[in-house]
Formats: sequence, structure tokens, C-alpha cells
Amino acid sequence: MSAETTSQNNNSPSSEDNNTAEEAAGTYECNICLETANDAVVSMCGHLFCWPCLHQWLETRRSRQTCPVCKAGISKDKVIPIYGRGNPNPQDPREKLPPRPPGQRSEPEGTGAFPNFGFGGDGGFQFSFGIGAFPFGIFASTFNFNDGRPAAPAPGSPQEAEEQFLSKVFLWVGIIFIFWLLIA
Amino acid sequence: MASMEKRLQKELQAMTKDPPPGVQVDQESCSRVMNEWIVDLEGATGTLYEAEKFQLQFKFGSKYPFDSPQVTFLGPNIPIHPHVYSNGHICLSILTEDWSPALSVQSVCLSIVSMLSSCTEKKRPPDNAIYVKTCSKNPKKTRWWYHDDTV
Ligand SMILES: [Zn+2]
Ligand SMILES: [Zn+2]
Repeated sequence: MSAETTSQNNNSPSSEDNNTAEEAAGTYECNICLETANDAVVSMCGHLFCWPCLHQWLETRRSRQTCPVCKAGISKDKVIPIYGRGNPNPQDPREKLPPRPPGQRSEPEGTGAFPNFGFGGDGGFQFSFGIGAFPFGIFASTFNFNDGRPAAPAPGSPQEAEEQFLSKVFLWVGIIFIFWLLIA
Repeated sequence: MASMEKRLQKELQAMTKDPPPGVQVDQESCSRVMNEWIVDLEGATGTLYEAEKFQLQFKFGSKYPFDSPQVTFLGPNIPIHPHVYSNGHICLSILTEDWSPALSVQSVCLSIVSMLSSCTEKKRPPDNAIYVKTCSKNPKKTRWWYHDDTV
């Protein structure tokens, strides 16, 4: 605060009161919109924001999410919502906005079994297992070679339906996984 | 759009009430259109730019403060400085990739004043002639040209 302002305050006591009130409010201003924080969240580095303001900033700089004030790392999961007195059922402000669609990805073990894709491409069941999960791939092929695997269930049996369902599930997991590999 | 204007109003109020040393908003410029401001700067005492007067132009897009303002020197006196081109464009990282919505007109002005103050030799950027001929009108595109290493 400059000396100039102080002398002004001395001239008019009412403006001094205003200043004090404004300064107190200023402590709880959002660092982005400069208004009193609404749906307030605080970062690990201690900086206060409205959640909508911070959310917009995080969306603006998705690849490099930093605190607008101090540039510390920041993310949706690393901010703490603040609940004042007077609201009996506070809702986490982070849940009010439309949640981001969760990323879709298969289990990382899938990578080990990826080469199976080429060989098993013609058989629905092995193909799906092969890329679905690494341990299952080994398991399936071992049983295939030893012929120890039970014969294919009769068409129309509940077992077959279940296998077809599983097969479809793994096929999709496989497709999503390959897609993910392509865009990653 | 509304939130951008609200924030600019707040900034204008604060800068009018308690202007930082050597920085003054041209009130008339903001009363015409809220998204274009003219700010008068004065070189700090004890520096190469002491008592020199400069003008900055701020242009705010609808995404302000999430998007940085366009800031250029304007008018007859463009400071001679290694980061200021003769067309008024300023090479300052907070105006592009280091922008943050917690920055403001005031903090940008203060950064520019301190950029001037720390200067030890008045000279134009080495690539001034080519840059001024080839650059986009919008200085925010400058970084691609000037900081080629970030591409
Ligand atoms: Zn806010
Ligand atoms: Zn911070």
C-alpha cells in the first residue's frame, strides 16, 4: 500500500473502513476471475480458485497443467474443495461439472501378447484371448497344443453363449487397445 | 464474454484506484471499447529509459484471461531494446506460452517496465529487419518465428 493511499484514508475515515472490508474479502478472491471464490477449491500449493475457473484453465492447457499463480503442478485430483458453514449438504464442486469421459484402455499386460494378434486372427476365441491378457494367451495356446482343452461346447448351450460373449468382449478390448496404440 | 468484461472492469478499477508507479491506463481508450486498452508507461528512474514515455496497446480476446492479451508498443516512441521490434512487437514469454490467467494488465505492465529497466544497452533485436518485414500482424504468432526451438 502506497503512502498516497494511506493519506487519503486519513482524510476520510469512511473510505478506510471500506478498504479494510475490501482487503478482508480480497483474501478469498479467486486468482482467475478476481471475484470472491465460488465453489471454491484450493490447490496443494495453497492457491484459491473457483472450481469452474480452474477447470477452464486446466482444459485450456491440458498438456501442461500448472497453478496459474505459482506454476506448481496441479490437477483435478490434487485440489481440495472448501466448504463454508451454512450449507448442510455440501456437494464437491468437482462433481457438478460434466465429468470428463474416462479414458478407455486395456490392461498393460496386453502388450506382451500383442504378437499373437497376427497368428490368431482367424479363430475368434484364441484371437480374443491372445490379445486380451498375457497369461490367458499362454494358457490358451498351451492347452491347444496339448489338446487338453475341453472340446468346443455344443452350439446353443449356455457355455457357448458365454464363450461368444467373452470372445466379443475381448475382441472389443483388443480393438480399443490397437486403436490406443495407433493414437498413442 | 461476460466473464471477460467483468474481469477487465475489476482490473480497470484496481489500476485506476492504485496505479503502479510509471503505469497509467488511458481511461478514454477503455471507455470506447472494453477489449482494447491504451496504457501509458514511463521509463523508471535510474535506467536507460528514465523519463521516456511509451504507449502500450492491449487487445483482449473473448477467452481472456484464459488466453493472453495481444500487447504491443504503439505510437511515435518504441523503446530501443533487444526484445522490442521496431514495429512495437515484444518478445516476452508471459505474453505467449508462459501466460497464466492469474496475470493481469498490471502484472504485464510491470514485467515490461522491469524488462526495460534491466536493459544495459539500447539496441534492436538482431533479426529486427527481417522480422518486421515478414511477421504477422498479431504478435502472439511471434514465438513460432522467433523461438524456433520450441516447435
Ligand atoms: Zn473464479
Ligand atoms: Zn500455486
